[in-house]
Order: sequence, then structure tokens, then C-alpha cells
Amino acid sequence: MSISFDPYSILGVSRNATDEDIKKAYRKLAQRLHPDKNQGNEAASLQFKDVSLAYGTLSDMTAKRRYDEQARQHEESGDTYFTLRMTPSKRAVMPLPEDQVVYILTEIFPAPSANPQEKVEANLNLSLVLDISNSMKGTRIERVKIAAQLIIDSLSPNDTLSVVVFNDRASIIIPSTKVIDKPSLKARVSMINPSGGTEMFNGISEGFAQVKVAANPRIVNSIVLLTDGHTYGDQDKCLELAKQATNTGVVISCMGLGHDWNDEFLDKLSSTTGGSTTFISSADGVVRFLNDHVRSLTNAFADRMQLTVAPDPDIKLEMAFRLSPSPQPLMIDDYIIPLSSLQVNRPIAILLQFVLPANLTINFRTLARMVVSGEILQNQVTSFKAVSDVSIEVTETLVSDEPPNSIMDALSKLTLYRLQERAKESLERGDVTEATQRLNNLATRLLEMGQENLAQHTLAEVQRVLQTRAFSDAGRKTIKYETRALLSPGGLDVAITNFISSDG
Amino acid sequence: MIQCQECQHLNRNGTLFCEECGRSLVGLPLNATIPTRAIQSDVDEASAKSTWGTAHVGQGTSLMLRFLSNDEPMIIPPTKRVVFGRVDVGSTVNPDIDLTPYGAIEKGVSRQHAAVEFSEDTLILLDVGSSNGTFLNGQRLVPNQPRVLRDGDEVRFGKLVAHIYFK
Repeated sequence: MSISFDPYSILGVSRNATDEDIKKAYRKLAQRLHPDKNQGNEAASLQFKDVSLAYGTLSDMTAKRRYDEQARQHEESGDTYFTLRMTPSKRAVMPLPEDQVVYILTEIFPAPSANPQEKVEANLNLSLVLDISNSMKGTRIERVKIAAQLIIDSLSPNDTLSVVVFNDRASIIIPSTKVIDKPSLKARVSMINPSGGTEMFNGISEGFAQVKVAANPRIVNSIVLLTDGHTYGDQDKCLELAKQATNTGVVISCMGLGHDWNDEFLDKLSSTTGGSTTFISSADGVVRFLNDHVRSLTNAFADRMQLTVAPDPDIKLEMAFRLSPSPQPLMIDDYIIPLSSLQVNRPIAILLQFVLPANLTINFRTLARMVVSGEILQNQVTSFKAVSDVSIEVTETLVSDEPPNSIMDALSKLTLYRLQERAKESLERGDVTEATQRLNNLATRLLEMGQENLAQHTLAEVQRVLQTRAFSDAGRKTIKYETRALLSPGGLDVAITNFISSDG
Repeated sequence: MIQCQECQHLNRNGTLFCEECGRSLVGLPLNATIPTRAIQSDVDEASAKSTWGTAHVGQGTSLMLRFLSNDEPMIIPPTKRVVFGRVDVGSTVNPDIDLTPYGAIEKGVSRQHAAVEFSEDTLILLDVGSSNGTFLNGQRLVPNQPRVLRDGDEVRFGKLVAHIYFK
């Protein structure tokens, strides 16, 4: 068994716990996480398996002794790979006759031993999947070519690259290869010529096939999809493929160029694999965004990061949103949330929203159990798990507890992102008055925050909505991705500048 | 429910910003200091405000602990690792920091309770197998699993509450 699977921490007991303590801890957790009690929660059943395995080790004297011996040697080398930090919006709640909301900020830090100075860059297995439909003609395709060539220049001979282009069908420009002969690879990119329509499935499917050729758990396996249009009829097939990619440890990140692509679909596609979607409003942004993205991949310290959340039976997980890096709404359908890679220099931060039921009993209680797992990229792949029980005190005495700044700051911005989502919902219901009211509120908040440009865009969109009863493609994407960008420090100014210098 | 003062929308309890108009429902400015800082010390006030919430520790940053029962803060200069606990006459291993003067026995502090590790740019808190648990902002720590400390955090050793500041 791998050393990184720490049965003590999985059971939440200390190293010197007695057999009785271990048995008690196991019984409690097994009861809580039992599949019968958590139907439909895949995360709980994964955690249940871990707990059973951990108890299997610690209840067997020989296995326990072997683990303890391994752990002792391990401690001498002193390695914890990442640590968790849970910050609740309040430390205590009162029992109320109604539901209440509690936010938990979950942060994953690379362990201090992951010293950035000593860290060598992670090796990449990257597939660029590029849309070459007719609409990419002109500046767009030229910028994409420059970006792809810059990426070839920045990769090392240990990295693997493939380039796939697609219109109505897919063709492989560069089959999966080590980046050794850079001039010839760049020459092949320069021959790309746009024509035809956009059929994404073929492109992604070929990109995935190319990544699989060199797939290896010691490196970062990634597909970057760049498109400027809608795909028709093959969305479900694409999402199915994204699930397969996740299971193989391949992350898909999407870049939407211009205003005509399907943002909801690309967001779903990337979230499924733990990736993110970026809005690039003008062709000029392509080079920088693509380059930055590839650079962030080489900063990976651990990959295939995943968060599982098993809420207590009476608690509901309502929302999960990744704040950093790359702000992105997360899908919580099966409570297993892929998070792609953990970078050396940036923690992963996720905001979770839980709903507590009415009439809580006075007690110190748990809300959910969370496990973060990931694979550490080293010579030898080590998988590692960190566990945390999120708990809260239910008390009769009112505590005036101010929410922590980190949560206030994140939520103040996330609320804006959700306001534009709510405006969209109103419009989908045909309620123009409500939609414009929500947009006006959004503009007011943006002005208060000093985001004048974005506030102006929002107000202009209000006018368009009043006239046409619909959002404009350009306006909606700008508002959606720029309010999202507010969550990543320093992200907004750049994005706005790109919008202003847009190639239309 | 909490009613928004601006748009009158009813939000669920615990919501921090109005879902309808985005206005803060907390009723206090975002950069408000936390209540426990009412203890007076002007210099601390100014320096602490600027760093509150940060996890980053500069070179030579000391750790300051304030206990509710005691006006005098405890300052721990940077070192590799300090273990908190209480000295017990019969015991062979003693902690680096003895919490007995702060009521460790009645408050259920173990002999070896928790440790703080100073690393390059962060401070790490660990429960080292205490009987009554170590809590960071109300979250009980899993023994031996490190947690990153932030300026302004509340740490509870059993029932003994301390607030952490970087200095």
C-alpha cells in the first residue's frame, strides 16, 4: 500500500489512538458515509471505501505495524504534499425556525516543502485543438498560429505536443510527438488554412486520442480547445467524451474567441474535467491567454486534484465555485468535483454554499466530510489525500461573529456574477422588467466598486434588452466573463482592454 | 429571513449579500476589524489591520497569541517548531509552551496538544494527538494534518481560546 494513504487521518484519529478509539471512529464514520444513507452521493461511497480500507489496515495488527514503520521512515523525509484550510462564514449558528445558509471557503495549499525554487517544471502532454472554420479567417487564425508557434518555442524536448484542427471534420497537423524539431513543427502550423463549419466532437475526439498516445500519470495531460463558433448536434457526445477524459486524468480547457460561441456548453465541457473556460474577446488576446495558460500548466505540483463532499443527511450543498486559480462555476451533481492541477505558487480556493435545516439541535455538529485527493508529480507518482470534517457549533446564545474578510471579499464579487446569471434567468422566463432591474442593480454595485467600464457596458445592455427583449451576444459574454474575472485579482483590466480593442 | 434595506428582498438567514441587488447584509464595512481586537494597543492596531487575513509570513515575523483571560499577549519569535501543551510533573516530555497559567487543566489542554511550525512563508498548525481537540476557526483539526494559519485566526486548545496575530 502506498504511504500517502494515511489511515489515521482518514479515520480522524491520532497516531497513538487505542484500538478502542480506532473502532469507535470507524463505526461513526461508516454509519455516516454508508451508501444506504447517502443514496445518489458518489462522493460518500468513495469516502466510505477509504474508511473501510483504513480500518482494514489499522484493525489488522501486522498491517498496522507495517504502516507505522513506513510512516516513521516517511516522517524523517518530512513530506506532506498539500494542506487544507476550511474557513466557515460563521463559527456558530442559532437554532432557527427556518433554513439558514453557511459558506465554507476551502483552500488547498501546496505544502511548504514544495519549495518553488527547487521545483522543476512539470512536463506536459498537450494537445491543441483548434477551430479552423470559415469564421476564423483573417486576424483570428493568424493570431492563433503565432500563439501556437510561441507555445512550440516555449516547450522543452521532454514535453509532448499534438495539434489537431477541425472544421466539418478533424485533421491532425502534428501527431503526438516530443517537441524536438521546433522549426519543422512551426512550419506545419503555418500551413493551417480555414474553411468549412464547426464540428467540435471530431476535433476533441482526435485531440483526446493524441493525448492518450503519450498519456502518463507523471505529467500534466491536457487538451486546450480554441473555438469561435457553435457546434450543432454533437454537444452530448462532447460531454460524454469529457467524462472519459476526466477518468483518464486529462483536463480540457476551453478558450472562446469572439462572441458567437456557446458559453454554457464550453463551461460545462471544461468543468466536467476540472478545467476552465476563458473568454477572449479579440484576436489580440489569443497569444497572451494561450501562452499564460500553458505556462500555468508547467507550474503544476500535483495533478488530477479532486474534491469529494459528503454532506450530513440533513445538510444540502447548494453551490460550489472555484475562486482561484481561474474562477469557474463547478458542477456538484455527483459531489465529486475535479479540480485539475495544484500549482506550486497558487492555492486552489473554492467557495461552497451549504443550507442547514430549521430547528437545529444545540450541539457541536458536523456539516460535511470533505476529502481532497491528488497525484503528486514526481519521479514516482504518489497519490495523496487530505481529509477535513467541516463542523459548526449550534448554540442558544447569540454570537456576533463577523464573517472573515476572505469570504466577504469573494462573496461580494461572486454575488455580482450570480446577479447577471439571475438576470439571464428572468429573461428566459420572459420577464424583461425583472431582468433589467437586476442588471441595473449590478451596474450600481459595479460603480461602487470602481468598475466604471463594466458598469457602462451593463447599462448599455439594459438599453438593448429593453429594445430587443434579449441579450446581445457580445454584451452578455462581456458581462458574464468580466464579472467572473473580478474574482481573479488583476484579471479584469486586461480583459476590458481587450474588449475595447475588439476586432468586432 | 433577512430583509435587504435597499430592495426589501427577503434573503435566507446567513446570506451575506442580497441575492437580488448585491448589497451587503452584514451591516458593517468590509474592512471592519474583528471584535476581539478591542483590547487596546495602538501600534498593534495599525500593523495588524494591514495584514489581517493574510497567510503570508515575512522573514522574522513573530507569532502573537492573545488569550481572553489575559491582557498580556504571548509573543513567540520565529523558530522551527513549537509545541503547546501543559507541563505535568510526572511526565517525561514537556511542551515548549506551557499553557498552565491560562487555565490549561480546567480547559482540557493535553500535555502535548498542538504544534506550530514556522516554514519559509507560512505558519502551520497541527494537532499532535490531543484528547479534547484543536480547533481552527471552529473547525476541529484531524490529528497530524497540517493547517495554514492566518493573521486574525481563532485557535482553540480544548476549551482554551486564543487569537493569533502575525507581528
